[in-house]
Amino acid sequence: MSNQAWILETRGLTKRLGGKNVVNEVNLAIGKGEIYGFLGPNGAGKTTTIRMLLGLAKPTKGSVHLFGRDIRKERIPILRKVGSLVEYPSYYGHLTAKENLEVVRRLLGVPRSRIDDVLSVVRLTKEADRAVKGYSLGMKQRLGIATALLGQPELLVLDEPTNGLDPAGIQEIRELIKSLPATQGVTILISSHLLSEVEQMATRVGIIDKGNLIYQDGIRMLRERAKSRIRFGVSEPEAAWRLLLSHGYEAAWDRHQLTVERADDRTVAAIVTQLVRQNHQVYRVEEETASLERIFLEMTGTEGSL
Amino acid sequence: MLKMIRSEWIKIRRSVVWLLSGVSPIIALAIGTFGYRPKGGFPWEEMLSLLSALHAMLFLPLLAGVYAALLCRYEHAAGGWKQMLAMPVSRTQVYFAKFVILMLLLAVTQALLLIVLLIIGATHGIGSPIPWGTLFASFAGGWLACLPLAALQLFVSVAFQSFAAPLAVNVILTIPNVLVVNSERFGPYYPWAQPMLAMLPRTDYGFGAFHLSMETLAAVVLGSFCVFFAAGWAYFTNKPV
Ligand SMILES: Nc1ncnc2c1ncn2[C@@H]1O[C@H](COP(=O)(O)OP(=O)(O)O)[C@@H](O)[C@H]1O
Ligand SMILES: [Mg+2]
Repeated sequence: MSNQAWILETRGLTKRLGGKNVVNEVNLAIGKGEIYGFLGPNGAGKTTTIRMLLGLAKPTKGSVHLFGRDIRKERIPILRKVGSLVEYPSYYGHLTAKENLEVVRRLLGVPRSRIDDVLSVVRLTKEADRAVKGYSLGMKQRLGIATALLGQPELLVLDEPTNGLDPAGIQEIRELIKSLPATQGVTILISSHLLSEVEQMATRVGIIDKGNLIYQDGIRMLRERAKSRIRFGVSEPEAAWRLLLSHGYEAAWDRHQLTVERADDRTVAAIVTQLVRQNHQVYRVEEETASLERIFLEMTGTEGSL
Repeated sequence: MLKMIRSEWIKIRRSVVWLLSGVSPIIALAIGTFGYRPKGGFPWEEMLSLLSALHAMLFLPLLAGVYAALLCRYEHAAGGWKQMLAMPVSRTQVYFAKFVILMLLLAVTQALLLIVLLIIGATHGIGSPIPWGTLFASFAGGWLACLPLAALQLFVSVAFQSFAAPLAVNVILTIPNVLVVNSERFGPYYPWAQPMLAMLPRTDYGFGAFHLSMETLAAVVLGSFCVFFAAGWAYFTNKPV
């Protein structure tokens, strides 16, 4: 039996494509009412995982349970309670936003009034009678979210809903998503390749890299992992760096700044004493808290590609 | 199933497919208006073979492919399959609904041609009573003979992302009609020739395949339909999207 506490749970979820496991033994667990940030660099396996969650693709191995039910056995009753936007918004360009929603509404069998409801949630009411092919990407994304909301889902799965948007569009979508659990009472799974994008709204995060789930916990635990380092402003940093290394400190010099990792108060005091003794002039000693983004980049080792 | 078809209806309601359904009847209108030369005692049957020759040999089989490709195009274009299959509907429902709509479009095409035939007959002042039975058998027969073609073309259109690929398959399979239809050996067994064999009046002895019984032709149509439809359906239910 699967744990009833989880709205969504995967066990050993694996997908083999082109000879390698693009999703490898992934155990996701998402609780009711959470906004779960599903993070990973491009190509990490987010979309592939999400396709399996929705029954669009079959897992090579492992299981997917939503609302405590197996997606393989009860796909249709499960999907009745799920709204989704996978990879990029789906739409019929020759139809208006209203007609696009009507296509889906007829499948879901929800009352016609829902169309106006969701259009106003994503603020497309004024544009609703225009053909969607003339929409901007941001409007298409909003229509995609409206479509996902149409059936009053208990779980909303949004795969990179801000992909390809400009900063203003990103901000708008973010505000919209943040407002949802309160106004619509849903649990949300939102994927992104940028931690900063989900940082302010996620209550929990899962980080996937090369198909492996390398982290899954509350966003606060991730912040605690933010290691601080000490930055030294000195007169001759390169010489100071050699000195600190020769004394066994974890010093780093990148031609701009001299830093020391994991230094407690006593270590900092000792370093300053050493520097002064060797006639270095010490201008500044600053603590630098690593941004979540840096931790994310370090964990996934993709600084260059982002 | 009904909700699926009602949903499909929104998509094709204002689509270009309707313009296409008028092409063959309009050409037939021209042929009938200028090409009709009364010969003997069966003016309606003569008119029927005149109008349906090109239609059943080329246009109808080609349209089966074009309609199928169009019905799938807007699904391939912007993630329609993905959205539909993440809804609480079965893949079987989705596939059957597409097929029903495809056959419906072919029925509309047939109906339009029948209307053209009746109009031309009236304008030429054909006096003899309209042979409803023959006409109905011809148009319904031609429509039913499209079943295997529609099934294969839906399969191909679902499988290929591109719009051109299923059309190429369609043209390649339809062109041999011109040769095969006169062949006693292949004509009766070539599914793409069936609409023609079914539509032309049986009093017309110009073609080799016509000595074959209705039962044989029906078996060819039904047999190939079952094979093509089952293959497409099985493919679609397992297709990753
Ligand atoms: N059909 C396929 N065949 C082979 N490899 C694939 C296929 N689809 C996706 N991949 C690979 O799987 C990996 C994960 O892709 P995806 O799930 O789309 O990543 P993300 O959504 O995290 O950017 C990528 O490296 C991609 O190249
Ligand atoms: Mg992706």
